[in-house]
Amino acid sequence: MSAAAPAPGNAAAALEVRGLVKRFGQFVALDGVDLKVAPREIRAVIGPNGAGKTTLINVLGGQLVADGGTVEVHGRRLGRQHPHQVAKLGVGRTFQISSTFRRMTVLDNMLYAHHAGGGRWFGLDAARLRGLREPAMADLDTIGLTHCADQVVDDVSHGDRKRLEFGMVLATRPTLLLLDEPTAGMGLGERQELIELVLSVARDRGLTLVFVEHDIDAVFRAAESITVMALGRVFAEGTPDEIAGNEEVQEIYLGGRR
Amino acid sequence: MAAEQPRRSDAWSIDWRLVAAAFVLVAVALHLSPPLVAFAIIEVMIFALYASALNLLLSYSGMVSFGHAVYFGLGAYGLAITIAKFGWPIWAGILAGPLTSALFGLIYGALCVQLTAIYAAMLTLACAEITFAIVFQWFDFTGGDSGISGHVPAMLGLSPAWFGVVVLVVVTVCILALWRVVHAPLGLTIRAVGENPVRAAAMGHGRKRVQLAAFVISAFLSGVAGTLYGIFHGNVFPEYVGVLFTIDGLVMVLLGGLYSFGAGIYGAIVYKLLDNVMAHYFEYWQLVIGVILVLVVLVSPAGIAGLVATVVARLRGRAA
Repeated sequence: MSAAAPAPGNAAAALEVRGLVKRFGQFVALDGVDLKVAPREIRAVIGPNGAGKTTLINVLGGQLVADGGTVEVHGRRLGRQHPHQVAKLGVGRTFQISSTFRRMTVLDNMLYAHHAGGGRWFGLDAARLRGLREPAMADLDTIGLTHCADQVVDDVSHGDRKRLEFGMVLATRPTLLLLDEPTAGMGLGERQELIELVLSVARDRGLTLVFVEHDIDAVFRAAESITVMALGRVFAEGTPDEIAGNEEVQEIYLGGRR
Repeated sequence: MAAEQPRRSDAWSIDWRLVAAAFVLVAVALHLSPPLVAFAIIEVMIFALYASALNLLLSYSGMVSFGHAVYFGLGAYGLAITIAKFGWPIWAGILAGPLTSALFGLIYGALCVQLTAIYAAMLTLACAEITFAIVFQWFDFTGGDSGISGHVPAMLGLSPAWFGVVVLVVVTVCILALWRVVHAPLGLTIRAVGENPVRAAAMGHGRKRVQLAAFVISAFLSGVAGTLYGIFHGNVFPEYVGVLFTIDGLVMVLLGGLYSFGAGIYGAIVYKLLDNVMAHYFEYWQLVIGVILVLVVLVSPAGIAGLVATVVARLRGRAA
């Protein structure tokens, strides 16, 4: 990939995780995870089921509270922040099963995203929402959803809901974007389109991107660097070429592919 | 593409012709009706406001209140106690009613939003039971089971028709204000948090304070309804904060149809109509309401609002 990862010791990393531990009862989901992602880096996290990828994203997003270790976002230490406080630090995320407002229309979802991105939750001035209509429609255009703007989200396709969720998160103007299986359950063509969209937006806006993905082709096409997790630990890390050439990784994950 | 005007913009603005037509219709009906019918219309209007306030919680904020009569009844108690016990003038009592409800909404709401789903609902019930017990037993302050009366002339001494117009104005203003809240930035946040708190939190909106805001607004408007009810009858009894008034409100919203703004209005009209008409002909009229409610939940969960929307869509389709 093009942009070489910045040298270590560079200014604050966009995301720095040290010794992260998360247990569910006896089960150790994260067993001392270290992770450092440079600003504007595009990082894929892969690994077999149960490796702890989603747990990692949930701890980073504040949905789960870690049992040990530290997380720093742009040099700011996360403590026991609630998800909405983490979001305010510029961390945007999507969920493995797309999370949108299914009783609202697609446009209202996007309007809400712009409203939320403004940082306020109260306010009685309906004109402010009308003012958000145009940027919201422009965003729907970017993600290719103008055709169903007036449909209730419950009635649109799975793929469109995934795109919508991604678009909504972008509208809150995050600097660090966490995507948990952005293409899960999508058709092959849809998948490629979405990955291209994610990449172009991330590059245009200079976002730092951490994404969990099972589609290996998408990972090797999109990522600048790859973290391989297994059993709650970071098993290997490197450029796509390094990972592809790592025999151990091939054994545990890629099924001995040459 | 962005210049294209979305069709749904009409859903965000108030159809003033409809509001004006309904207002004039009710005002005329109040003056043409015999007193007994005017009483029924007044009662429907008061309950339409109460149920609409409850509907803000049920349809939009993702909360269920199993004790909403507390905020209705405390409006009437706030009015009565301010006048009868503190000796303040009537206008002060009228202000004190809704404010009392809002204050209790703030206190109880702050407790209830700490929990979610059925646990929060059970806590609203517990708060209501505590309030009922206090109102029922603190004889010196609340009048206990004999309540308070004589503090304000029933209907402020107005004729049923003119008191009806006063109620009409207050209820219209309050429901329009509620519409405004639901369709303002605050309302969008309330709807988002109510529907998917996990997504809303990931967008930077924490659940608790948003739900608390909705709870206080709902309690305040319920209190306005309760204050009107206290003036209407010129008295107040513990039943006003009791579980039957809570159930009345819940049934109205369910009949009216969850997830629609008009649920409280439609529900109050139909429920009170059944109440007034059927009670004359049928001793077990509540049984009929029960059967209707079961049918609504099973056959048409969108309630009367859903029915109205279907009919309107059909008519429009035919006209086009």
